[in-house]
Amino acid sequence: MFSKSSISRLKVFFLFFFFTILVIFFVYKNIKKNSVYFYSPKQVQNLNNMPSAPVRIGGLVKQGSIKKNNGIYNFIITDLNNDIFVEYKGLLPDLFIEGKSAVVEGYLKDKKSFIARTVLAKHDQNYMPPEIAKMLKVKTENNK
Amino acid sequence: MAGSIANFLLSVSLILSISLIFLLTIKINKKNFENLSVIYLCSDGIFYLLFISFILLVYSFIVSDFSNLVVYQNSHTTKPLFYKISGSWANHEGSMVLFILILSFYLFIFTKKKIDPELKCFTIIFQLILIFIFLVFLIFTSNPFTKILPTPVQGLGLNPILQDPLLAIHPPFLYFGYVGFSIVFSFVLAALMTKKLNSFWSREAHFFILLAWSFLTIGIGLGSFWAYYELGWGGYWFWDPVENASLMPWLAATALLHSNIVTQKKNLLYSWTALLSIFTFILSLLGTFLVRSGVLNSVHAFANDPFRGLYILITIFLIIFGSLTIFLLKNPSYQRKNNSFFFQKDNFILINNCFLIFFLSVVLVGTVYPIILNAINGESISIGPIYYNSIIKPFLFVFIFIMAYGPFLEWNKNSNNSFIKNLLILFIISLIFSLIFLFLLNNKNISLTLGILFSFYLFLTVIYDAFREKKLSINLSRILAHLGFATVIFAIFINGYFAKEINLSMKVGDKKQLENFLIEFKNTKSIKGPNYDQITANFLVTDGNKKVELTPSIRKYNQPAQFTSETSIKSNFINDYYFAINLSQFNDNKISLRFYYKPLMQCLWLGVILIACGGIFGLFKKKYENTI
Repeated sequence: MFSKSSISRLKVFFLFFFFTILVIFFVYKNIKKNSVYFYSPKQVQNLNNMPSAPVRIGGLVKQGSIKKNNGIYNFIITDLNNDIFVEYKGLLPDLFIEGKSAVVEGYLKDKKSFIARTVLAKHDQNYMPPEIAKMLKVKTENNK
Repeated sequence: MAGSIANFLLSVSLILSISLIFLLTIKINKKNFENLSVIYLCSDGIFYLLFISFILLVYSFIVSDFSNLVVYQNSHTTKPLFYKISGSWANHEGSMVLFILILSFYLFIFTKKKIDPELKCFTIIFQLILIFIFLVFLIFTSNPFTKILPTPVQGLGLNPILQDPLLAIHPPFLYFGYVGFSIVFSFVLAALMTKKLNSFWSREAHFFILLAWSFLTIGIGLGSFWAYYELGWGGYWFWDPVENASLMPWLAATALLHSNIVTQKKNLLYSWTALLSIFTFILSLLGTFLVRSGVLNSVHAFANDPFRGLYILITIFLIIFGSLTIFLLKNPSYQRKNNSFFFQKDNFILINNCFLIFFLSVVLVGTVYPIILNAINGESISIGPIYYNSIIKPFLFVFIFIMAYGPFLEWNKNSNNSFIKNLLILFIISLIFSLIFLFLLNNKNISLTLGILFSFYLFLTVIYDAFREKKLSINLSRILAHLGFATVIFAIFINGYFAKEINLSMKVGDKKQLENFLIEFKNTKSIKGPNYDQITANFLVTDGNKKVELTPSIRKYNQPAQFTSETSIKSNFINDYYFAINLSQFNDNKISLRFYYKPLMQCLWLGVILIACGGIFGLFKKKYENTI
């Protein structure tokens, strides 16, 4: 019914199809495993259960909240309504300044406290992650 | 004054390009290919006009003409001259001028080639269309010569981390790479339109592919080197979307480079080569503008204006749509030749092409998936390095194995058995080597073993390949590039598993012993730079019987007021000792520091240079000299 060449082409096609499916499955599984979600302090308050995987939280570093004892930093990440207490052991980047925006990556203990494993560096002092900029904009509009 | 002249020149080149497009269309319709020299002269004219406007922009930066908005936003009188010049392309508008200048530069070289007039005219039309599109974008949405009134007295200054000699040359190299694929793109569309996609096309295109590919390799290498020593986090590749954006065209271009060789040698894979040429340029565009659009957060995100983003998105969409339409309508069906042997060079190149495309898709998915997810349901995610490493690593070994084997096969017959026997011996040697190596280093990691095994195997086979032929220069291009790749992979694996990071806080006079390093903080010094104040710390690191003195520093720039850490890296070729200090505002007299021990970093850079050298050597080879 089919010519010899079209059968061989069909074989190649199915082989290709099979590998593509395999690869897509492999990639998808890995993406799920390695995605880090970003939350604002407000979104954290709305979470139903605490994620066990590492997450990122972004907001402003609250004025006067940075404290250090025994090499462990404590500070507050805020969206001006909701505060999250962050604990971090390590070095802070140069551009980590009170009143400016920051993103931390680590584990949520509960809705109010967070253990950071990384504090993300930024590229310039006026830079603000778009997520935070959007969040603050909504905030100022609500206040009007 | 300079601004108005430059604006005028830009408008003239816009008009010139659109009229040339019309003129050429008429000529092609009439099949009248006489008096083409006038057209070549005009297209050279566009290059000269754009070049002068670029020089005028640089001039405005040098004389700090703050009546120009771009200069005001990105420059400052106290900035050193070198950074005033490089500042002219370290912003959105200026870099767009450079982008278009390079588009016209490639047109300029292309018109000097002796090619069939019809093919040449079509190529010029497509390239001119690209120039036109981006000139419209430049003039109407991101004009670098916008005036501000009243003229400010002082500028806002350039982001201090961009004030670095490497970053001055990184963008031009990258652009010469990205934009170089534009001429390949125009050339392939022209060949499809005129049905002249043949081995002559393939030979001519090979020059431009190699040229652009070499530039792109160097550009990526420079960017990575900059990240390594300027950011101060001890890493050279973070799988950041910005880095991925440059890696994707590189992977596509590498595939293109190889498939084009098959096209040249065996008159095969025409459609595949054509498709790759189109996609390489599209990925270059995506790479240029994805990082620009502000969708990705990075130091490269200049364009915050939503209209610019929209224009770029529509443009890229039209370019993709237009070129693929031409491809689908005009792609002739080629008679497939009878390929009776599996163990032939072209089959192996094709297999590795598939691997390259696979790596490309992995990177593409990892880069674009978060953006799409965010657009669909507003969730923000980021995908970590583990995703890339865990997917790419296992396939990389197979890829390297085939890469080592391929060059020994013949184009047209089943290959000689003696080579296979020798390759087996080399494989056993590298297996023994990697086991001894890991035994000495006392590490039992399987993927490290495989990494060392395969990169060392590739290394040996390339050396064998080099001495197999009497005349080395025939295959030198391939040998250099493959040797470079083996070096890079070897360095990445060793570095990944043996690098050390130590975080400390110390005060002057402290001595600390950590692992096998004795770190001594000797003193600090204050220095005043041209537009910054600097505090330099002096450390002495004792590693066994080696003593290394390192002097990292913190700079406070005046305008804009910002702190940067300057790292201090000392290398003895095998190891890098890397120091960075941080502004520690919350410690009284202590300073926080990061110390990295990075083995084989120099090897990594050497490998990148070798890869690029392979490409550059290929450019100078006689065109019709046969590669085996």
